[in-house]
Amino acid sequence: MSALTETIALDRSRTRTVRKAPSRSLDTLFRTFSYGAALLVLLVLAGILGSILYGGWPAFREFGFGFLTSSAWNVGTEQYGALVAVIGTVASAFLALLIGVPVSLGIAVFLTQLCPGWARKPVAMTIELLAAVPSIIYGMWGLFVFAPLFARFIEIPVSNVVEGLPIVGTLLYARVPSGVGVLTAGIILAIMIVPFIASIARDMLDQIPTVLRESAYGIGCTTWEVVRHVLVPQAAVSIIGAIMLGLGRALGETMAVTFVVGNANRLSASIFDPSSTIASRIANEFNEADGLQLNALMALGCILFVITFVVLIIARLLTRRVKAA
Amino acid sequence: MNAASALPSVELTRNRADEDGPVRIAVKGLNFYYGSFHGLKDVNLNFHDRQVTALIGPSGCGKSTLLRCFNRIYSLYPEQRAEGEILLDGENILDPSIDLNELRSRIGMVFQKPTPFPMSIYDNVAFGLRLYEKLPKAELDVRVEESLRKAALWDEVKDKLRQAGTGLSGGQQQRLCIARTVAQKPEVILFDEPTSALDPISTGRIEELIEQLRDEFTIVIVTHNMQQAARISQFTAFMYLGQLIEFGPTNRMFMNPAEQRTQDYITGRFG
Repeated sequence: MSALTETIALDRSRTRTVRKAPSRSLDTLFRTFSYGAALLVLLVLAGILGSILYGGWPAFREFGFGFLTSSAWNVGTEQYGALVAVIGTVASAFLALLIGVPVSLGIAVFLTQLCPGWARKPVAMTIELLAAVPSIIYGMWGLFVFAPLFARFIEIPVSNVVEGLPIVGTLLYARVPSGVGVLTAGIILAIMIVPFIASIARDMLDQIPTVLRESAYGIGCTTWEVVRHVLVPQAAVSIIGAIMLGLGRALGETMAVTFVVGNANRLSASIFDPSSTIASRIANEFNEADGLQLNALMALGCILFVITFVVLIIARLLTRRVKAA
Repeated sequence: MNAASALPSVELTRNRADEDGPVRIAVKGLNFYYGSFHGLKDVNLNFHDRQVTALIGPSGCGKSTLLRCFNRIYSLYPEQRAEGEILLDGENILDPSIDLNELRSRIGMVFQKPTPFPMSIYDNVAFGLRLYEKLPKAELDVRVEESLRKAALWDEVKDKLRQAGTGLSGGQQQRLCIARTVAQKPEVILFDEPTSALDPISTGRIEELIEQLRDEFTIVIVTHNMQQAARISQFTAFMYLGQLIEFGPTNRMFMNPAEQRTQDYITGRFG
């Protein structure tokens, strides 16, 4: 015992002799680097936004506010408008959420509440693998495999049934049942965003304390009531965040959508009809564009920027409201 | 039942058990398994109507396990199972044909930590009511107020019923959970260490409350706090390593335990 205390005392005296003052210069260097890294992000963002605005400016000047409300896109007559692409972008992303969010929440609830222990890992792995599939693969699969089947088994039968009916006769009628269109893009996008939303929602549901879940069951709730009234509201803020992340991805997704959206510049009320999104229009035309067409594409880019930004702000406001409630 | 009687001294005369009280819950030959681990070993025990029964014993002795059998909350976990009989008014609640949701509305439970649901104070209390009774709005209001009064919370929250339940203090949250449980008019209320996360003042209020609730409900409480068991219970069961060692009126258990192990635990020699 006394030998041990002596060793400790010895060790102490030794460490005291080798102690040296911390290096100031290294600290300053680290600090500068850290500031610089943060500043760089701002600079890059400002640079991108600035150059797109600069590039798109001639189109905005030429067409004014009409650029937003015009559905024209004619290279020959140099008439450009963003309406079709904006509607296509928003509609396909909205459809993707409409399909993807319930499926994602279903997956998250299944994995955290209902799934037997042995199946949890494999199912979760499969869903995370979906997130790793490159978007070009989704595009190819969507165009060559999904679209023909979709045309044959959904578009044609549904069009036959709804033809001539009010509202649904317009909304669900395919003039040319090719299988590509806004709804197809929405479905492919839904498949792409499900793994993101599902895995975040699962993590959030997993973090809810066991006692809260038990006490909800403890007053006699069924699984549905526990999930609907206690677990999902408890994780609401994070789930909304996850949904917005998915929406952001759906709005900007280019490759897969370009394959399956049909790339038509036609304003149609039917979700079976081909259309364009901002990203697909840019991807299709950037190679050969110059002059006013290039400016118009840049202007489209600005609009996409603004839409994404607005989504982000709405997400912030929503999460703040839920937090306060 | 005034506040002064809730002093943290062991007052045994006040807790005289009514030995002739009718039996509300009868546990017969209960065995419990966590997978292959034998958590409860042949437990036989009676709980008397409108009395507080305390389950005491060192950590891991099975007292919480026993409590979790009464509302079968353990069945959320497929690897856990109970064998034997638990008769509630003569009906075996371990029978697979029992409707679990209905059972849980008859047997309320309050947990170690306050568990307010993510909704307003009003909705927290009304939530359980809406599940099993279709009440008009006015009547619902009355029941919510009545429950909050019973949980000694009404005066503190009556002006902010629409605010989130999670905004209350820990002690208030726990009383909110009690109000939520009371609102369903259960026959039995289970308390699983209800004050372990609370400060002494909040603990005192919850203890007072449990004494008052005894007028209406049969109460089973798991506690680590020996003084608490002595203060609020009429019967005490001492458990050790999954077995029921001794059961009897709290007075006798604390004054004159029959078993050496009970004596050792109560006097703080182990556990």
